[in-house]
Amino acid sequence: MINFKNIGVTEKLLFFSIIIISVFGLTLLYSATNQDIDIVIRQGVRLSFCFILMMIIGLIDINKIKIIAPYLYLVCIVLLIFTIFWGHDSKGAKRWIIFFGFSLQVSEIIKVVLPIFLAWFLSLSEDKEIDLKKLLFSFAIIFLPIIFIIKQPDLGTSLIVLLCGLISLFLGGVKKKHILYLSGLFLILVPLIWKFLLLPYQIQRIITLIDPSSDPLGSGYHIIQSKIAVGSGGLFGKGFLNGTQSQLEFLPERGTDFIFSVLAEEFGFFGILILFIFYFIIIVRCAHITSKSKTYFSKILSGSITCIFLLLILTNISMTIGVLPVVGVTLPLLSLGGSSLLSIFIAFGIMFSINRRN
Amino acid sequence: MKKSFLDFSRINSERLFNKRFDILLIILSILTILLISRLYFLQVISYDHFDTLSETNRIKYIQTPPRRGIIYDRNNVVLADNSSLYSVEINIKEARDIEKIINAIDEQITISKKEIKIFYKKKSKYSHYNSITLKDNLTEEEVAKVLSIRYKYDGLDVVASLLRKYPYKEITHHVLGRVGLIDRKDLLTLDKKTYKNGQYIGKTGIEKFYEKKLYGLPGFKHVEINAKGRQLRDLDVKAATPGEDLHLTIDINLQKYMYSKLDGFTGSSIAMNPKNGEILGMVSVPSINPNNRLWKIDVSKEENKNLKSPLFNRSINGLYSPGSTIKPIVALNGIKNNIINPLEEYYAGPFFQLPTSSRRFRDWKPKGHGLVDLEKSIIQSCDVYFYMLANKLGIEKISSFFKYFSFGSKTGIDMPYESSGVLPSPEWKIKNDGNKWTDGDTVITGIGQGYFSTTPIQLAYATSIIANRGTISIPRLNKSSSKDKLKKILEKEDFLKNNIKREDWEIITEAMFKVVNQKNGTAYWSTANKKNNISGKTGTVQVYALPQETDERKKENIPDHLKDHSLYIGFAPKADPEIVVVTVIENIGSGSKYAAPISNKIINHYLENIRERY
Repeated sequence: MINFKNIGVTEKLLFFSIIIISVFGLTLLYSATNQDIDIVIRQGVRLSFCFILMMIIGLIDINKIKIIAPYLYLVCIVLLIFTIFWGHDSKGAKRWIIFFGFSLQVSEIIKVVLPIFLAWFLSLSEDKEIDLKKLLFSFAIIFLPIIFIIKQPDLGTSLIVLLCGLISLFLGGVKKKHILYLSGLFLILVPLIWKFLLLPYQIQRIITLIDPSSDPLGSGYHIIQSKIAVGSGGLFGKGFLNGTQSQLEFLPERGTDFIFSVLAEEFGFFGILILFIFYFIIIVRCAHITSKSKTYFSKILSGSITCIFLLLILTNISMTIGVLPVVGVTLPLLSLGGSSLLSIFIAFGIMFSINRRN
Repeated sequence: MKKSFLDFSRINSERLFNKRFDILLIILSILTILLISRLYFLQVISYDHFDTLSETNRIKYIQTPPRRGIIYDRNNVVLADNSSLYSVEINIKEARDIEKIINAIDEQITISKKEIKIFYKKKSKYSHYNSITLKDNLTEEEVAKVLSIRYKYDGLDVVASLLRKYPYKEITHHVLGRVGLIDRKDLLTLDKKTYKNGQYIGKTGIEKFYEKKLYGLPGFKHVEINAKGRQLRDLDVKAATPGEDLHLTIDINLQKYMYSKLDGFTGSSIAMNPKNGEILGMVSVPSINPNNRLWKIDVSKEENKNLKSPLFNRSINGLYSPGSTIKPIVALNGIKNNIINPLEEYYAGPFFQLPTSSRRFRDWKPKGHGLVDLEKSIIQSCDVYFYMLANKLGIEKISSFFKYFSFGSKTGIDMPYESSGVLPSPEWKIKNDGNKWTDGDTVITGIGQGYFSTTPIQLAYATSIIANRGTISIPRLNKSSSKDKLKKILEKEDFLKNNIKREDWEIITEAMFKVVNQKNGTAYWSTANKKNNISGKTGTVQVYALPQETDERKKENIPDHLKDHSLYIGFAPKADPEIVVVTVIENIGSGSKYAAPISNKIINHYLENIRERY
């Protein structure tokens, strides 16, 4: 019998839920890519790599991770700057950098590194309240990467990264007074941002969200086709490899942004419920680890990871059924792509590491 | 445990954290529940709606047009046929880079600069179309070459369509008409289930009149398509029902002969079997070769402006004053109404004058004909005799009698857009001209001039009644169309047979026989072959009234478009006629010089070379 603790796995239920969803993701990808086994194998390799990485991180002491937190953040900032100048150009945006044939989307990694660094920063003087100075510093930490991500340009990811940072800050104990002030400021700023900062295509995305039929062949097409895929799945779905929306390529971005629509079309509402059950197990176990964790740093970090994980799931699904704009958020553990997988498995590695300490 | 309390020195802080963590989890859980409810709504409650949308996404309904019926002549010679036309099309909605596709096609088969230019012109004009033809009339080799690169380019396609071919080109054009692309006007009246944009439909002639028969019923196919519109598999196929073939009464050999005789003139000639109304030949000149314009959307306006209007079917739409060809019927009218005694001679001087007016109605013969009876007045076409007769009859009797010969109404030939001409009457004049009818109007109606206008097919109809001695035959082109006569026609026939004695019909036919066979007849010199007992009547219609004193030599100098129309009606053999021929030639000269010889040649050719074969 394998001793899971020796290989970095300290929470079996969490571990098996991750495996089940990941393997199911590969199966779904086979359908979403019109049975392109090459893509599935490549994703499988990425998945295995991330798995090993997760288990290695699970073996590392959480305090050691805490020590390298500032360096992780710095490396990410440098890579983000690097992306701006030497990034790979695709569809008018520079989001990836390529290392020896591997492409990396740093804005995905920052989703996990930002909470690590914020947790580190807030726990520097954990016996003190978060005063204005500390709050402003925290905001600088959050907005520094966001500036570079907006530059790419990638508004969707910027907003998600902002939310990740805000969740960490909120959990870290920002004063109620400050929260009220910030909310007020936010209400004033939003109209200004709409007017001066958003690019036309970003405004278009939000408009087509509200009324997809205003542009049925342009940006509204994705939402319309995705909704048709989800809705026509019905209670039990059209069956594996039988989804007409996905197999006949009416559904766009099937492997990445819209993998959930493939699932909904082929496995129906019941398939979705089963997926939600496994996600639910992950959330419950993560919340359990959070409540058991002993240090301020681990509490903020694990709490953030738990909430961000759920937030990403909700955002992606909302996107596929037209509740939110298509902001380019992947579905955790299911979507094709290395960078999002990497950041999620780093996060789970950290959860195992924190649990080891408990 | 002690150590952890030291690490986590502020108990408040831990409590705060737990509270906030709970708040976040509760917010996110509520959102999750809302999201699941939304999914339940989409997938379970709105399932039918989205299922329909997804089916319409993937299933395309394709109509397969039926094979159009073939048109034959009376001896099963093909007059209109179909052949396949292959063309390269580019779907402008699907194609990503049209220029690149055109270049790729150009590498396989040569595409001229003009074709590319026309393509872009069409692309901007018909931007609502999906597919636009780049080049048509491909050879099989070219088809294979284009198909070899099709998989590389979305939107590139080779399409086979049925092309209508008319092997006898301009010779049969006005009878058969032509097919053309459905236009907006057609779409208003068509059944949208059976027709759609981009298909061909009969536009004129037989093609239009028998459109329903010839078209058949389209079939359909449900095919599964992917997002790019590529057809993946057939789900449901129903074959098209081909259109019915049509056998015409036309004899292509006679038609060819008639066309060769009229080619170069402007006018029409119709040959009809008086016994059953079958049209044996029907020619309108000038004509066009319809094969050259099949894939054009419409006929150019320039062509229609052309003075000679080759698209105008003179046989059923050309309106001509009948002139002297009408005299036999006016004479019959006089006998029937006991206005004249056929044998009584009248003195016909150079002109006729009404007692109330100083206007002189001149005869074509400057010196006059002297003493003439009815027969002689027809043989020599004496105008003064008919001025007098018309004046005695009065317009009411003239008009009402002409109605039995279909003047002023359609003959009912199976062709679209037939004109009805004008049968003048006092009511007609008030309505159309505004002026009151005068006795002068009556007088010139007696020689087929004035407001009177007829189509060649009406003249053929009327002539066949004379040839049949009262029996009416409705002209027709479809050999299998019903021979039953309408009640209205039967009533007319009863009148013509019961109120006009057989002897009186014979007086008229005898006079017409002498027009051709007696030395002083106006058509005597029109044929040397007298074997077939042709009866006929010439007509020379003034297009422009010359000053009364103009002599013959000056007449030769007037411009072409003011010259007289030349008319002739004829039938043979006299005793039991088998063919009626009517010929009208515009702006050429007298009836005896042009229309009569041509018509008699047609009659002789038919009776001697063609009829035997039946």
